[in-house]
Amino acid sequence: MKDEKLIDRRSFLSRLGGIGLAGAALSAFPWMESCSPSRNDATSGAKVRLGIIGTGSRGRYLMSFLKDIPQASVVALCDIYGPNLELGAEMFPDARRYTEYRRLLEDRDVDAVVIATPLDRHFRMVMDALDSGRDVYCEKSMAYHIDECRQMYMKRKSTGRILFIGQQRLFDPKYHKAMESIVRGDFGPVVNVRNYWFRNADWRRPVPSPELERLINWRLYREYSRGLMTELACHQLQNGTWATGMLPVKVMGAGDIIYWKDGREVFDNVCVIYTFPNGVNMTFESVISNAHFGMGEQILCKDATIDLPGSRIFRETPPAKSGMEQLIAQIEKGVFSNSVFAGTSWNAETASADRGEAIMPEAEGDGTREILQAFCNSCITGKMPPRILEEAYYSSVLGILGDEAILQGKTLYMEEGFII
Amino acid sequence: MFKDSVITARRKRRELAVALVCFGLAVLINVYSIIRFNCPWSEFFTQIGFVILLAACIYAVLAAVRLAVHAVVSIVRRCRG
Repeated sequence: MKDEKLIDRRSFLSRLGGIGLAGAALSAFPWMESCSPSRNDATSGAKVRLGIIGTGSRGRYLMSFLKDIPQASVVALCDIYGPNLELGAEMFPDARRYTEYRRLLEDRDVDAVVIATPLDRHFRMVMDALDSGRDVYCEKSMAYHIDECRQMYMKRKSTGRILFIGQQRLFDPKYHKAMESIVRGDFGPVVNVRNYWFRNADWRRPVPSPELERLINWRLYREYSRGLMTELACHQLQNGTWATGMLPVKVMGAGDIIYWKDGREVFDNVCVIYTFPNGVNMTFESVISNAHFGMGEQILCKDATIDLPGSRIFRETPPAKSGMEQLIAQIEKGVFSNSVFAGTSWNAETASADRGEAIMPEAEGDGTREILQAFCNSCITGKMPPRILEEAYYSSVLGILGDEAILQGKTLYMEEGFII
Repeated sequence: MFKDSVITARRKRRELAVALVCFGLAVLINVYSIIRFNCPWSEFFTQIGFVILLAACIYAVLAAVRLAVHAVVSIVRRCRG
């Protein structure tokens, strides 16, 4: 990919606006219309009055973006944990405070809610909010059970309200640029999808007193969360469906608690394989007792490997270097390589040392600002962006299926009933 | 302590000639690598930066060799004289 093809986020979004939101880019990402420059202009001057349910770390992260979105006005905050509510109030001192989300939903000044609570609460809160006539932005994963995800999807349809799930990668320009080329087949067919997330930390938050352990460290307990599969994997699993345009037909996996044996109930290491109808596999692997490889999302095509978070393309046949560089490399090899007296019968296939080509070096952020902007615009216009909820639904379903496959020790299949 | 030094016209001509020879040698290496690795002939021009850099390197190596020879000759002459 040559430099002149590289564009930054601003010009990418402007281009979408400039081409009337038509063409290949938007057919692959139809939801982007909701945060295009023209849509932002159309909603300028209007405000959506937001209530934040859950002002913990994730909730406040979202609030930090809402502060800068002209169409957003945070008027109410809710959290059952007092210190978190206070921290939220420091960001929006004029917002009314609640400790029960139903009281917030009774507040007539609230047009829409942002839900950033433990996973097990998503279903009830989203259903109640939609029933009360509010638009909803809910953090991922969608819900704890597949049936709940489906009910939420159907409720949105029946109420006609807006429902966003916090899959910010859907709005990340780096991902769009890469996916646009992959879907177009520029790099040949997709042959594998690798997702991994490695950390070396216990995933715990400090607890001021023991009775608050489960409330604060809810991610570690099965009652509230499915751990790595719903808190991390659901972000990455949409890469496979996005790149292949298909849903996996089966999933198998393994997981256990191998290092952090501190009373937690969710796995601290998982390895899951999803298989698409054409036999292509997608893996998700996560270990939280070794951080060496960090986080990675790689689409392996016949002719190139695309590193999505790193925003780089590694071609199977890298562009040839100039003659002078090749000559110097050959001389270096002759001078510094070891003498070989007898050839080996087998050579290890070492990884390519190619440094790849940048896809979008100027891109900033992870899409969170854009998805929140899109949510506010959608609340104001009343138009639900196409496909965005379906993408979130399936990534949540895949995460839940993966966890169930590990728990049951069986290969699970994508049932007809899961399809929406 | 410091004396004025004079660079003669002959010396300037000689250094210019040496630099030109180095540049020519670098161009020849570029031509060789284009042929050797089947690269496009546009590299004759696009690699000019590399060629100049290579010419400078050759000139520097030659300068070091010439200085060393000059030093050895001076020492030998001093010993004899």
